[in-house]
Amino acid sequence: MEVVLAARGITKRFPGVLALDRVDLEVPGGEIHAVLGQNGAGKTTLMNVLFGLVQPDEGALFLHGRRVEFRSPHDALTHGIGMVHQTRRLVAAHTVLENIVLGHPRVRGVLSLRDARVEVAALCRRYGVGLDLGARVWQLSEGERQWVEILKALYRGARVLILDEPTSVLTPPEAAALLAGLQAMVRGEGVTALLVTHKLPTVMSACDRVTVLRAGRVVGRLRTAEATEDLLVRYMVGRDVAPGPAGPSGAPGRRVLEVEDLACLGDRGVAALRGVSFALREGEILGIAGVAGNGQEELAQVLAGLRPATAGRVRLDGRDITRLPPVARWALGVGYIPAERTEVASIGAFSLVDNTALTYHFDPAYVRRGLLDDAGLARLTRRIIDGFDVKVPHPYARARQLSGGNLQKMILGRVLSRAPRVLIAHLPTQGLDVEATAFVRAQLREAAAGGAAVVLISEDLDEIVALGDWVAPIYEGRFVAWLGREQADPETVGAMMAGRRREWAAAR
Amino acid sequence: MWELAVRSLEVSAILLLAALGELVGQRSGVLNVGLEGLMLFGGTVAFIATQATGNFPLGFAAALAVGALLGCAHGFFSITLRGDQVVSGMGLWILSFGLTTFLGSPYAGPLGLGRIESPAGLPPFFVLGVLLVAAAWFLLYRTGPGLAIRSVGENPAAAEAAGIPVAAIRYLCVVAGGVLAALAGAAYTLSYNPVWNYNFIMGWGFVSLALVFFSMWNPWILLAGASLFGLMWQLSLSPELVLPGILSRYVWRTLPFAITIPILVVISTPWFRTRWGLAKPEALGQPYAKG
Repeated sequence: MEVVLAARGITKRFPGVLALDRVDLEVPGGEIHAVLGQNGAGKTTLMNVLFGLVQPDEGALFLHGRRVEFRSPHDALTHGIGMVHQTRRLVAAHTVLENIVLGHPRVRGVLSLRDARVEVAALCRRYGVGLDLGARVWQLSEGERQWVEILKALYRGARVLILDEPTSVLTPPEAAALLAGLQAMVRGEGVTALLVTHKLPTVMSACDRVTVLRAGRVVGRLRTAEATEDLLVRYMVGRDVAPGPAGPSGAPGRRVLEVEDLACLGDRGVAALRGVSFALREGEILGIAGVAGNGQEELAQVLAGLRPATAGRVRLDGRDITRLPPVARWALGVGYIPAERTEVASIGAFSLVDNTALTYHFDPAYVRRGLLDDAGLARLTRRIIDGFDVKVPHPYARARQLSGGNLQKMILGRVLSRAPRVLIAHLPTQGLDVEATAFVRAQLREAAAGGAAVVLISEDLDEIVALGDWVAPIYEGRFVAWLGREQADPETVGAMMAGRRREWAAAR
Repeated sequence: MWELAVRSLEVSAILLLAALGELVGQRSGVLNVGLEGLMLFGGTVAFIATQATGNFPLGFAAALAVGALLGCAHGFFSITLRGDQVVSGMGLWILSFGLTTFLGSPYAGPLGLGRIESPAGLPPFFVLGVLLVAAAWFLLYRTGPGLAIRSVGENPAAAEAAGIPVAAIRYLCVVAGGVLAALAGAAYTLSYNPVWNYNFIMGWGFVSLALVFFSMWNPWILLAGASLFGLMWQLSLSPELVLPGILSRYVWRTLPFAITIPILVVISTPWFRTRWGLAKPEALGQPYAKG
């Protein structure tokens, strides 16, 4: 197979960091090639070099064996290399067609959208993409938006597609559809795809070859047919990652959390949660699996006291807390890890000490005559930093300086430092690298072992199945089933949270 | 009656020109709340230049130049320095208010030249305004550069990724907005009411600003809104003409604002958004930092 795109000896230094260290990359044509690595391994920098956004300090790029130099993305585009950005690079108010032609050289003067429509429609047919070109982007699902990005690159004549974490914002079925479409495109039309990701299942299921980066260096180059997930993890992390203790997380004790027929409205005023009931004992983990938008976010908020329940009851240790405000719940032992790490769970401009204070400002142990006990909070923050392995120079660093993994460890540590009776964790490992993910999961298990009841809401089936003593797939505001650990295999749960919807649609 | 209509269209033209420039600027994502100041400046400079030379075209040229200059200043603060657009616009207004009072006071009084001819009995600036509305609509919705302008105002990062120079587009739009606002001011002091007096524009800049929101950033609705607001203003000068003794002129003058507020409320409801999407350019008011 001919090597289409190659990079040789690419070195890139940023002030104080060696982002890429003599990186060699060979991408054979007509294949999906994965670039795998943890956050900060240099994946993004390498892609930016290939797309002309960043100039390397040393090394050269070769296209079909000929040396090329990309001074800007425009150069890369004229050589047939297209970047498929994450979907926030689309104009939500514009139509699909307008987004696709945006920036195309032929739309300098008067727009001939009619011609463009014909061409783009032909492109859609050729690659088997079903998109309404007149629809506005804000009306589309994330999966469809990703296709708009891909079409945009193809319309500009790209034969090599660089995809930056294309599945990170997609639901599992959307991600599977995207990868299948990409494979068809690559096999049938000879397009070459370079996929940047830190998701192992994506690499294993969809890619032909993989180049693994760690700390700016290539540490592995192999065919996925010869690779295993464990092997790739070892390459990425540089050592084995302890999977954490397996099996049930200890003998369940007393009932901690009882939820009866709980219902609430979503942001748009329609019923989001339509009657959910369950009970959890000390030491149990409930994994709630669902495609985003099926009521799980609202469930987390109702349990945390951030959203009023329209019906039903929540009991904590036998006490009715349905109408209690959030602070009262914190004091009683409810802990909440919101999905939005930077928007809801922390304040970026605050120091870590002040962020810790956000869950202690009502606690008499840290408030003296109405004033916060800063020294005590600083000591507490230091304990969290040490205990949860947060990599940060000092407790007064601002939260926004922390990487996603470190911030999540901090948030987790803050919540767990209150020794909660009930822990609600919403997408606790989303966007984290392998190491941080393993750490967070181990901590959740440990919290359960320590006697907490853990409600884990996740879209990651493997996570749900690995951690949950009980698994409840959620669909349109109701639990589809209540499965014990032994009944919950990824296929069943996946079908319940996503596959069922297809059956119903077909029946209609 | 005909006289009232023509007179009110003259008011409409001034509101329309200023608001159209602001609309284009806001479409590119830059809010200029200093519209009032730009109109004061354009009107004052045009008045002084015309009175000094007795030459109307020269007066207009001076207004356009000063409008472009003020547009550049607003662009420099809000695009290059990425300052707060509201602060920059307010600063521009206060500066213009003070400076034009200082510059214009010695010239207080009538222009003392003949009136500008109106072909076919139609107010010339209204005709110009309608033509510019058509041109702006065509530019925004039927051309590549228009798509670029709208993209820059909605999602500058997406525009940049598509190879569009965000800062340059924004500068162009803001300067065009400044030019049109100054032209509107000149139309006031040279044609509608050729007299210079203290704070002659009387808040029309803010009415124009409200008009842009009223129009939901659509040039044709802007035209309709400007016609309506112009009529209401002219009526407010003699409200007894229509509804004798019911409302004082000051109440009439608040109507443009009173109408705009419910419209703003409606377009921000979930109902409207799910039906029509966001009318407001998403990146409006937000400085864009590269990368």
